[in-house]
Amino acid sequence: MSDAATTRQAETAPAAPGTEGAAAQAPEAYLGIDIGSISTKGVVIGVDGAILARSYLWTEGNPVQATKNVVDELHGQLAERPVRIVGAGTTGSARRLVGAMLGATVVKNEITAHAVGTTFLHPDVRTILEIGGQDSKIICVADGIAVDYAMNTLCAAGTGSFLSSQAHRLGAAVEEFGEIALTSKHPANIAARCTVFAESDLVHKIQVGYAREDIIAGLCNAVASNYLNNVGKGKRIEAPVVFQGGVSKNVGVVHAFEEQLGMAVAVDPDGHLMGAFGAALLARDAGPVGEAGTGPFASGSFDSEAALEFTFTTREVECQKCANHCEIICVYRDRDLIDSWGNRCEKGEVRP
Amino acid sequence: MADIPTGAPGPRAPGQLPRQSTDSTMAHPLGALERASVVVKPATGRRPSLWEKRRRRRRDKHHSAKKCAFFRYCYYDPAFKYFIEQVLGAEYVALPASTKQTTELGAQHSSDYVCTPFKHILGDYIEALDAGAEVLVQFGGPCRLGYYGELQERILRDMGYDFEMLNFSVDIEKGAIGWAKQCMKVVNPNVKVGAGLLKLASCANMVVKLDAARDFYLANAGFERERGSFARVWESYLEALRAATADRDVNSAYREAMDAFRALPVDKPADPIRIGVVGEMFTAIDERSNLELDAKLLAMGVEVHRMMNLTNRWIRYNEPNLRVGAKDYVGYDMGPTSTLTIAAAVRYGREGLDGLVHAKSAGCTPEIDCAAVLQRVAQDFEVPCLYLTFDAQTSDTGLDTRLEAFYDMLAMKKERMRP
Repeated sequence: MSDAATTRQAETAPAAPGTEGAAAQAPEAYLGIDIGSISTKGVVIGVDGAILARSYLWTEGNPVQATKNVVDELHGQLAERPVRIVGAGTTGSARRLVGAMLGATVVKNEITAHAVGTTFLHPDVRTILEIGGQDSKIICVADGIAVDYAMNTLCAAGTGSFLSSQAHRLGAAVEEFGEIALTSKHPANIAARCTVFAESDLVHKIQVGYAREDIIAGLCNAVASNYLNNVGKGKRIEAPVVFQGGVSKNVGVVHAFEEQLGMAVAVDPDGHLMGAFGAALLARDAGPVGEAGTGPFASGSFDSEAALEFTFTTREVECQKCANHCEIICVYRDRDLIDSWGNRCEKGEVRP
Repeated sequence: MADIPTGAPGPRAPGQLPRQSTDSTMAHPLGALERASVVVKPATGRRPSLWEKRRRRRRDKHHSAKKCAFFRYCYYDPAFKYFIEQVLGAEYVALPASTKQTTELGAQHSSDYVCTPFKHILGDYIEALDAGAEVLVQFGGPCRLGYYGELQERILRDMGYDFEMLNFSVDIEKGAIGWAKQCMKVVNPNVKVGAGLLKLASCANMVVKLDAARDFYLANAGFERERGSFARVWESYLEALRAATADRDVNSAYREAMDAFRALPVDKPADPIRIGVVGEMFTAIDERSNLELDAKLLAMGVEVHRMMNLTNRWIRYNEPNLRVGAKDYVGYDMGPTSTLTIAAAVRYGREGLDGLVHAKSAGCTPEIDCAAVLQRVAQDFEVPCLYLTFDAQTSDTGLDTRLEAFYDMLAMKKERMRP
């Protein structure tokens, strides 16, 4: 990549105002953003795969604003050692929207992104357990490549949003859940098969007077056993096991997994960022964007101030050309249509 | 023939009818009632003489004017049309492509816990009845589908529709004779039995030819050089089959389509990613039920294999023989499509396919049983299996994510394994 990259660097350096001198010589870097239902994660990695900046913020139902906040925070962290971000990857449930917004080179599903990210950091991993805000998945790995995976299907039981709503009911912050759970000596036995039953069982246990820490520990056990019964059913879970996603920050659940699996469960300090990291790695493999002409990558490297200045709006159009009534999402940057999706046939195509 | 008002004027030329009748009405002492009947008259354009001989309509005495409709099922509508028109000698009601509304209509009138094909079929029936169908055909099936015909009939009758049902689950214990009698009783008592049987053989031939062409399509359409070229040939093939009236037409349409398919330019790598689709009779094949699984897999550049089709499940089905191929996994017939699902998975494993996709509708008990066996097959042959469950509410986005991830996984594995 060096030849093409250096010539591009030489070309763009005089053209981009404000980045002359030291910035133009700055090392190349790649941005990865994972926009989940609950939280938005962002990392900037160097060409060697080292994480240079990291950010983790709540999505709060506004993926566009959350992404801007993440980009802003990453930009702030990189003020000391400037880099040129030459490519971006997005993943997570809003990957398409944010991908269009950032002009990303790679828009990948979260399963692939997580597998790529984790196997890069832990080449010997055999099983990846992942519990996020609204979904959970298991990825089986052999020789550094994913060979099998499963994802929760019809039901979001035992995911992060379930834990946080129960935390609210118990009047505890979900961040403290883990520590509280570890203090329990006799975890309550909470029916784990279904969120609704788990919840009514939980209420019952509260009302009959179980100690708070026992209920919280029971909840953590319930999340782990629910995961193993629903998502992990039929999959062979082999060591080493890596647990990631937002819920992996909960030491109570980690402990529950270790007990139920009978093996050590590793949690990476950057485990919650693994999707974003994987997306950045995929963007690195795809190479620099080059000159996009418009958008944040207009000059060939990511201009985070420009990205913050653009306004992004989406508009939902219901196609009237047949009885399917596809909902087409159109994304506008300022006033220009940059992408659209949602149509099932070419009749509903909206072109930028 | 409509009754003729006594006050109508005498013979007249057809061209002058309106004027004359208006005149006569105006002159008539009786009021509006009389006038109305006279104004209606010219539409018939007949001489109002009672002694005129009724013109005999020339018609095929073996034909029945009953309008029959099938539900939408995969790409088999040419065969259904052929069955109604050529075998039974009745009228066929063709349904337009299904829409979201069809499914909503079906789901609205069925129990939420019933399996998804029921909802789709019910939606189709409602649309067919609205399109003027008088007879609904339900071919039943080896699972709960066998009971659905009666249930759907009751639901539709409760909704106020008047129709007849040709349900092959009725008199199922009498076998072919029972079915034949049902067809004659409900649709056409004057059917030519001998000719009908020959046509039935050619209807089966059409199903075989449809499936054979589809197999070729699935194996190659993912690598077409011009996007949409395979789909165009496929559509024109279906169109030709819809117009077929004899075995000769079926065979020539097949030959032409296969020639056209083979002439299309493809960029197929030497070692493409191959995925075997297994599952239940409805969801594994029907594009509406599985949210266009075929098209999604093909768009990613995959060679798709699918043993499940009407040819392999009905026309050439021999359960004991099929089971021999999977004897390590299944010792007895587990149910409607279980042996086919497992035998296909084992075969794909042996042939070294890259992945399996198991498609079933939510609540399909026989296929839930199969899933446990497939897990063992997947382990033994080291072939990843993606389990998909479809409901009327299943989202397209979720399916896209899973399929994309599955494809990425297989592609990365293949890349790494390549010497």
